[in-house]
Amino acid sequence: MESLGELERAVMDQLWSRTAPVSAAELRDALADRGLALTTVHTVLTRLEGKGFVAHDEARPRRFAARATREEHAAGLMHEVLGQAADRQAVLARFIGSASPGEADMLRALLADNP
Amino acid sequence: MLPLSALLLGLLAFALAWPVPVVLGRAAWTRRDPLAALVCWQAVGLAGGLSIIGALLVHGLSPWGGSLPEAWWAWLRHWFTGAQPADPVRGDHWVAQTLAAVLALELVGVLVLSLVRTARTRARHRALLELLVDPVPGVDARVLESPVPAAFCIPGARPLLVLSSGMVAELAPGELAAVVAHERAHLAERHHLLLLPFVAWREALPVLPAADRAHDAVRDLVEMRADDVALRSLAGASSRRTLAKAIVAAADGGAPRGALAAGGGVLTTRVTRLLDPPAPLPRWARPLAVGSAVALGGGPTLLAGSYKHLKRPTKLLVENLGGAGIINKKR
Repeated sequence: MESLGELERAVMDQLWSRTAPVSAAELRDALADRGLALTTVHTVLTRLEGKGFVAHDEARPRRFAARATREEHAAGLMHEVLGQAADRQAVLARFIGSASPGEADMLRALLADNP
Repeated sequence: MLPLSALLLGLLAFALAWPVPVVLGRAAWTRRDPLAALVCWQAVGLAGGLSIIGALLVHGLSPWGGSLPEAWWAWLRHWFTGAQPADPVRGDHWVAQTLAAVLALELVGVLVLSLVRTARTRARHRALLELLVDPVPGVDARVLESPVPAAFCIPGARPLLVLSSGMVAELAPGELAAVVAHERAHLAERHHLLLLPFVAWREALPVLPAADRAHDAVRDLVEMRADDVALRSLAGASSRRTLAKAIVAAADGGAPRGALAAGGGVLTTRVTRLLDPPAPLPRWARPLAVGSAVALGGGPTLLAGSYKHLKRPTKLLVENLGGAGIINKKR
């Protein structure tokens, strides 16, 4: 039995690799090697919709698509974690909070002065 | 008449709202022992809140009895049975009571709100990461595809340590291990909990410069503390330099440009204390810091507990000041 997280990742990988929206049945067929029931695919899609990663249209049957590309998600996450808002959100513990343009030079000089 | 302890609590609140954070924020010893400094900041935050609320409460309830529990009881009885207070209740007593309630609700409410919001953000980040990045069996770190060098952790029941692919590309293996040790230290010591109240109260009290100052100091101290803890788990004589090089490389590789005062921020401080470690504080410093912190936290409570039954004001003053950590510190 595969974990839900793993299934969600597999479904997202499918959606990310496609350009057009797909129906749940098509997804089940694409993931045939996992032997999923259609209801399982629907469960996973509903969960992903709840998390805001997937949207569906009003066609019949419904077709599903990723809301943003993998790269957009990664960039968005980095922006949130590193940006100005991160302080307010208590996204703790970025290794380097922020560096002003002059500071990097100053740090390199420090390193050179202390062999 | 204003009870003596309301006056003392008010003075303590003022000290903790202005001069104490200024002095503690500028003190050079804090970078020699970030942990002791973090303990002091927690105490300043807690005692600051307790003393200002305590001062208002003691004054507001002073007509009702000689100690807070007694006064509270009399006050409650008044609402249910109509029993009259010992002394006449004036308008300023009502104002003080109301202010105390509003302030207490705001401080606690903002803290809870911040806790909920942070938990939600973390859950979202974790969900995203779990989708974006395949886990490596047996490793609690994940590599996120992004050119910007970054390392961060998501605390919680199942903590997650994240490195960007840019960071991995930028750093030598030893430096990467130092970064991971640094982030692990944050998680192991639950630094997010130390920071949380200061994040919350900075938002609750935007007019108070001390809230800003305290937040920034705690944020920086937590980073220094994580450096110290990381060094313990890193082998080799040059681990200090390795960690310093990792900081410089990460800062160099296009970390976001925040607005930072010229003359160096926390990164400069961190690199300097890694390369040229300051002498550790004397052995008695840490117990003293913890002792003062406990006294600071307990002082306001004691003061508010019994405010009127004082036969000898001078003796009481000395005892209370001792309890509040004011006399202690000069020991």
